[in-house]
Amino acid sequence: MAAQGAGAPALAVRGLRKSYSGRTVLDSLDLDVAAGEFVAVLGANGCGKSTALRCVVGLETPDGGTVLVHGREVGPAGDAGSAELRRRTAMVFQQIHLVRRRSALDNVCAGALGRLPLRHSLTPALFPRELREEAMACLDRVGMADRAAEPAGRLSGGQQQRVAIARALCQRAEIILADEPVSALDPAAADQVVSLLAELARDQGLAIAAVLHQPALAARHADRVVGLVAGRAVVDAPASRLTAADVDALYVPDLRLTHLEAS
Amino acid sequence: MSRAATSAGAGPLPGGAAPAPPRRRPVSAATAAVAVLVVAAHVLAWRGTEFSPVALLQGWRGMADFLEQALPPDLSAGVLLTGARAALVTLAIGLLGTTLSVPSALVLALLAARTTTPNRWAYQAARSVLSFLRAVPDVVFALVFVTAVGLGPFAGVLALIFHNTGVMGKLWAEAMEEIDLGPRDALRVSGASGTQVAAHAVLPSVVPQFVGLLLYRFDVNVRSSLVLGLVGAGGIGFLVNQSIKLFRFGEMVTHLMLVMVLVVAVDQLSAHVRRRIGA
Repeated sequence: MAAQGAGAPALAVRGLRKSYSGRTVLDSLDLDVAAGEFVAVLGANGCGKSTALRCVVGLETPDGGTVLVHGREVGPAGDAGSAELRRRTAMVFQQIHLVRRRSALDNVCAGALGRLPLRHSLTPALFPRELREEAMACLDRVGMADRAAEPAGRLSGGQQQRVAIARALCQRAEIILADEPVSALDPAAADQVVSLLAELARDQGLAIAAVLHQPALAARHADRVVGLVAGRAVVDAPASRLTAADVDALYVPDLRLTHLEAS
Repeated sequence: MSRAATSAGAGPLPGGAAPAPPRRRPVSAATAAVAVLVVAAHVLAWRGTEFSPVALLQGWRGMADFLEQALPPDLSAGVLLTGARAALVTLAIGLLGTTLSVPSALVLALLAARTTTPNRWAYQAARSVLSFLRAVPDVVFALVFVTAVGLGPFAGVLALIFHNTGVMGKLWAEAMEEIDLGPRDALRVSGASGTQVAAHAVLPSVVPQFVGLLLYRFDVNVRSSLVLGLVGAGGIGFLVNQSIKLFRFGEMVTHLMLVMVLVVAVDQLSAHVRRRIGA
């Protein structure tokens, strides 16, 4: 991991562009996330935060720009040569996206599908024992080992999100992108999940970027805050030096419009 | 009254300032044209089928004669026993026809659902096969298979396998297209292959719908296997046909009563199971 691309950040996004039917969502976005760093991405609704993350993991195809993982460029989605590189990035979603009828453990094991041959992965019964043990360790890391056998749909929102993070760990991802991971959770559960992400970055050396809608959570847990306005990073500061004015500037209701009119 | 108005303060808001409510849109020419077309279609259909309540009233005597011969039903032990045995054969045709079509329906459904299909060609090919199997009625399949394997229940099972593959494959494909795509995306990001995504995100999400549709088709197939009996593919339908040909209408009514018991039992069973699994 350290051998290749030493010095390069775990994730580097350069000049990412995306527009939907003429409306620019990402306007040459740059974003770096280093190993061991927890970056909070802030911005008003529609500023391109989620689109940026979805472009990085290949759920959307960007119009332009490059994504580098440890200094190596990731090819377009479906490019066989980049499959191994892509597997190093995991994503956590606002809607969580676990399979509700399957147990928490089976959901976590599914994170490893990318490195399993079909004969060991056609049904959960075929998952090798080492994988089950690794998945239990991942669940234990997020504090959910005692609920491993329960169907994911029966867990609370916060618990489900922690299981989803365990799935990302079981993927052995070095980079975790979280798209509004706590927007649907109550404040206590939200704090728990965000502090878990911060811990994973600090203790496990993962590169983590999370889109958040609560500046207070970002200030409390993140190492660095990136603020997006109209598809560009306009704020990039250590969380400790983030000012209230910085935050307010991101959420001015008509900022985008005045920007466009001025240019 | 005035006290109520002043004390509650819940009178209508003054309307002057707000914009006037939008006008209701008049019935468009297109809506009227569709209404005229629908009525015209029904008039043509009435004529085309020689629909005539008068003919029915004038012919009531024929029905009465028929019923006179049919009632009371022939409840002798021999008729009941052969009838019950044939009803079980009908049930068996429906059961095997449904179960044995599961593998083919599953494979075709996976190819024919946009959420799981590997590519556009496979999708179109699978859709075409399913359409063909659905378009050919099971009775026609039965007639074809009777020529191959002879009269009897085996031809009925084969006919159901083919027709049911078409119907159930389509229903299952649609169920898979309606699921939330989130879990699929999540596994795709982790690098899972198409087959793995189908096995771990799509199929586990649709198990209740699949089982519900399977039971529904079992219910339908037991009823169609009666009709298959009429064309010689065994079971109690075959006995009904025979007793009509031999003018033993009392026997026919007994068989029909057995059919009713069978159909109600299967319907109750499948409804009960569907309730339990919440499909």
